[in-house]
Amino acid sequence: MDGIHDMGGMHGFGPVPCDQDRAFDHDWQKRAFALTEALAWSVPFCADEHRAAIERIAPANYLRLDYFEKWTVAATALVQAAGLVDPQEVASGLKRFDIPQGDHPAVGPADILAATKAGAEMTFPPTTATPRFAIGQSVRVLANSPVGHTRVPRYVRNHVGKVIADMGVFQFADSMASGQGPDPQHCYTVEFSSKDLWGSAADANGCVCLDLWESYLDDV
Amino acid sequence: MPHDHDPLEEGPALRVRALEELMVAKGLVKPETLDSIVEYYERETGPRNGAAVVARAWTDPEYKDWLLRDGSAAINAMGFSGFQGEHIRVVENTDAVHNVIVCTLCSCYPWPVLGLPPTWYKSPAYRSRVVREPRAVLAEFGVSLPEEVQIKVWDSTAEIRYLVLPRRPDRTEGLSTAELADRVTRNGMIGTALV
Repeated sequence: MDGIHDMGGMHGFGPVPCDQDRAFDHDWQKRAFALTEALAWSVPFCADEHRAAIERIAPANYLRLDYFEKWTVAATALVQAAGLVDPQEVASGLKRFDIPQGDHPAVGPADILAATKAGAEMTFPPTTATPRFAIGQSVRVLANSPVGHTRVPRYVRNHVGKVIADMGVFQFADSMASGQGPDPQHCYTVEFSSKDLWGSAADANGCVCLDLWESYLDDV
Repeated sequence: MPHDHDPLEEGPALRVRALEELMVAKGLVKPETLDSIVEYYERETGPRNGAAVVARAWTDPEYKDWLLRDGSAAINAMGFSGFQGEHIRVVENTDAVHNVIVCTLCSCYPWPVLGLPPTWYKSPAYRSRVVREPRAVLAEFGVSLPEEVQIKVWDSTAEIRYLVLPRRPDRTEGLSTAELADRVTRNGMIGTALV
C-alpha cells in the first residue's frame, strides 16, 4: 500500500529526536501494548494483520497519533472486523452483546508468557519451495504497488540489487495480512547501492540491504 | 506518575482504558494477563541481554563465529528468545564497515535482545532519513565516521531482525565479560553509537 507508513527516503520530517530515548513514556502506552498482545491471541490476529490495520489509518492521523494509540486503533479495528464488538460498544465502552466464549478464550498469564518466549512459527522446511534466485544473482524489484499490505518499500521498486543471502522459506506477509494463508516462499536478503537508490548525493560506497520475498522479485 | 494529568495524554489514556474495560467485559482479555505481559518485557527483555551476547562474542571467538553464522541459534543458547526475535542476523562492525538498523515501514526490532524500541527509532525522521542519508543521521547522534568506512543500512522489511555487533573498544583487554557488557549500549547495538 502506498501509504504514509512507507517513509523510507521521504523528506521533511526534521531532525531525529535522539533524546526521546524510552520505549514507554506513560503507563497507558504499556497497557496499550499488552492489550494488543493479548487480543492477538483471543480474536485472533497476526502481526501482519495488525500492521495492515495500522497502515489503514488515514495519513493525517497516522502522523498525529502516538505510536501506541495507533496500536490501539488498529487492534480495535481488528476486534470489530471479527464481529466481536460493534461501533456503538467502541464509542460508549459499554457491552451490548455477548460473544461465544469458547471460540475466543481470554489468554491467561502462563499461556501468553510461554507463547511469547517460544516466538511465532513463521518458517517452513527449505524443501517446501524451490528457490528461484541464487546468491550473487542480480534481481529487480517489481514495480507492483498493491492496495493491501506489502513489505516492499517504494524506494526499492524497480531497482536492481544483488542477492546476498537466501534466508529460507517463510510465510508471506502480504498473504498473511489479507487472511489468505501462508503462501510459503523463499525470502532473500538483497543489497542495493545507495548511489543507485538516492543519486549523486549518496555515499559512493554506501548500501542498503532489505529482506524481500520471492514474489517481489524478477530476473534482470 | 508525573504524566497522569498531562492533558495531551488524557485522550489516548482514556481510549486505552475504555477498550481494556470493554474487552474484559467481553471476556476477551484478563487484566492479570496484561500485567504479566508488561512485567515480562520490562524484566526479561532489554539491551542488557544484547550486551551479554556482544560481550561473549568479544571474548569467545568460537561463539562469535557461531553468532555471525546463525544469530538466532547462538542467541537462543544464551536463553534469549521469543516474539520479534525468532530470526536474528547479527552484523559485525569492523574498521571498514559500519552497520545501522532501521524499519522504514513500521518499527521491527529484536525484542528479546534489545527490548521494545525507543521513541526515536519509531520516529518518522529516523525511518525516512537513515536509509537516504545515514551519515547525517549518525552525526545527529554524535557519530562521525571516515569517508572510507562503508555504511550498510539494514531495513527490517521481512521476518529477520537485526543486531549490530559493535567493535570492541580499545584498552579493554583486562576487563571481565560482565565489565565488557557494561560498556555496551543499546544504540551501539542499533548502530547509532560507537562503543
